[in-house]
Amino acid sequence: MALYDNKYWLLSHIRNSFISTDDTGMCELIMTGEEGVRKHLKQSLDSYPDDEDSEDEDDLSHESYDLQLDTDFPLRYRSNTAVRLEKLEQVKKRTGRIKHIKWETNKNELSEEQIDQLFVKKEPKVIEPKQSLFSKTFKEHKMMPINPYMDYAKFDGSGQVNLQVKKYRIFLTMLPEHQRNYPLAVCCTSSAKIQELIGLILLKCSTMYEDYPWKPVNNYGLYITEEDGEVDRDFPNLDPRENIAKFGFACLGLVEHSDPSKCVSFGNSETVTIRKFDYNDKKGKDSSKQDQEKQITTDLHLMDVHKKAMEAPLYKSFKVYMINKMRAKVEIHLGISGEKIEIDPVQKNSKFVLVKQKPINHDMDMIAWCEPIETTKSNKMTFKIIYSHSFANAENVSSPTLQSSASFKSYEFEADQSIAEEIVNKINLILDLRSSDTRKEYLAAQERKYYKKKALI
Amino acid sequence: MFDKSEMDQVILATGGYDHTIKLWHTHSGICYRTMQHAESQVNALEITPDKQLLAAASYQHIYMYDLNSNNSNPIVNYDGITKNVTDVGFEVDGRWMYSGGEDCRVRLWDLKSKGTQCPKIFEVQAPVTCVCLHPNQVELFVGDQSGIIYRWDLKTDHNEQLIPESDAMILDIAIDPLGTHMAAVNNKGRCYIWSLKSGQIDEPTKMNPKHKFDAHKRHALKCEFSPDSRYLVTTSADQTAKIWNTSDFSLRQELKQENQRWVWDAAFSSDSQYVFTASSDYTAKIWNIEKGTMEKEYAGHQKAVTALAFRDCAV
Repeated sequence: MALYDNKYWLLSHIRNSFISTDDTGMCELIMTGEEGVRKHLKQSLDSYPDDEDSEDEDDLSHESYDLQLDTDFPLRYRSNTAVRLEKLEQVKKRTGRIKHIKWETNKNELSEEQIDQLFVKKEPKVIEPKQSLFSKTFKEHKMMPINPYMDYAKFDGSGQVNLQVKKYRIFLTMLPEHQRNYPLAVCCTSSAKIQELIGLILLKCSTMYEDYPWKPVNNYGLYITEEDGEVDRDFPNLDPRENIAKFGFACLGLVEHSDPSKCVSFGNSETVTIRKFDYNDKKGKDSSKQDQEKQITTDLHLMDVHKKAMEAPLYKSFKVYMINKMRAKVEIHLGISGEKIEIDPVQKNSKFVLVKQKPINHDMDMIAWCEPIETTKSNKMTFKIIYSHSFANAENVSSPTLQSSASFKSYEFEADQSIAEEIVNKINLILDLRSSDTRKEYLAAQERKYYKKKALI
Repeated sequence: MFDKSEMDQVILATGGYDHTIKLWHTHSGICYRTMQHAESQVNALEITPDKQLLAAASYQHIYMYDLNSNNSNPIVNYDGITKNVTDVGFEVDGRWMYSGGEDCRVRLWDLKSKGTQCPKIFEVQAPVTCVCLHPNQVELFVGDQSGIIYRWDLKTDHNEQLIPESDAMILDIAIDPLGTHMAAVNNKGRCYIWSLKSGQIDEPTKMNPKHKFDAHKRHALKCEFSPDSRYLVTTSADQTAKIWNTSDFSLRQELKQENQRWVWDAAFSSDSQYVFTASSDYTAKIWNIEKGTMEKEYAGHQKAVTALAFRDCAV
């Protein structure tokens, strides 16, 4: 039996411990070269002073069954011991920088001189009332607008010890090139949601880059980003309502959306700046200021109309609510392009969604009409898209145009007024361009209805 | 944004149960630095007279943080105390620091001499809750959980005892900057006032009971005189802080906000126009004394804020 006073056993134990805890494998390499020394040691140190048990002799020659000496560097998992040692090391390093002053009871009585040096009696003085620097600056800054992101300060996790936090490196894509080389380090409490993390980031940004016009939180999205700061635009932004703990990415990019409702869109700020330059040039030439401004507004308007018409067939996705027959609202992505309209329900994890919406595709040729219905008080607008039911359901019909009487059905949606208007405008522009048979038929049907009504009256 | 030299002169530090100490831009409410106070809650905070260091009274330690660096860890650790340190403060010229704790001892720590021998220790019968230095810098007033107030003369080591009320803990003591009044508050919400008469050269300060009043319905936690000696602020577990006129100890303002919970600490601006409070609703607040309105909140702590330290600057 091996005892702790057995020198050979102890040595071998130490060797094994070294090898098993050394993650680099360096110990092992050095020790293989010591084979000769070991043999010598074995001879000089009596491995077993009592030779009663001979079985252990074999064990000793093997050192350990589970340790194999390898000459190449094996990849090993870090042992718990190594991790613990490293932690201790860190604590030691940290405390090393701290000066420790331990209380020691003073054995020697203080001399008179020391007492006089240490305890100097002062006459309480009447303090002349002066203006305080705090009051002065506080009053000066009173009129300054309060930082709108202040509420998000409570999600700051920096310095927290007993609280779960997540650390992020955030790339600020909206800043000018020279300012965005380095990511912003943000530490957020794990309980926060993505939009709260965005708020916290904006709070930090707004104090660091005061000149940049920061917008409300829902104008920004967080995107998965490479270590070098390149935003991965193939993925949508992280769902602002989700908890940050759900996502494991440490590197994120903050992107400013040109329109908060759009889910996949990257600002077209470049075109805007170009336009601005144009008008700056014009400014110099025109004489009358008012005319000039009028000109600019009409031009801008024309440009806008033109741009919208040009852009209408381009694919764009909107986040809107679909109102079904039960008048229940389902959040969907409404994708509109020159070819078709896609209705895609927003993925929700909850199993208890009351109303489910299947994804639907409609060829643009099946769409007959799109119009606003009403504007609600809360600045929301409902609108409907009318499509040809028979065409949509009869995809295998060889020539849909031969269908004599198409029955029309409609979808109802709700969105913010500006978005709703944009959608209605976009669809109508596309429909105008295409002037499909469905549309013609719908218009004819409407006309017939109109005349019938008139005849009845 | 201020330039650094200007910024350095107004310091607001807060700490509490979330094991962090935060430094704030007082005018904007933005926290510009968070320091770790990993091992315990923060019981009390004080800034050195030269505004270089911040002392935090903790469990078994006093930690000192460098205010002028970005080091989030303490740079000095005063060790060898058993139990919680409940109060900490400095001699006006920074010669020594005093601390009181639940180990029933008041200690003086030498800050200037190189040796670590500490000049004095004062033992009482019950855990020390508060220590207050008389503006004459040679007398310490110590309050304990058994309700006794000690006047400890640092030069002669003599002490004198006062028991304003039996069965009540003294929770805080304050002396006004002129050294004419002393206030003490207890866990029954009562406030006691003495008028102080300074003695000649080595004679002790004489205390005469002057007034007592029920300041709060529950524990009164802190009391503090304004720099111009006109006001006294008391904070309490009854979710308020109150400003009292020192002329007749009538109520001047009640500083109250829905759900602000326990108000733990308070500090005046140097012109006595504003008062900061620290409360259990995770925030520090600044109040206008004239109007009694809350002017700004300092939010960012994850748990109750129980201590604050403020140093203003006259312009």
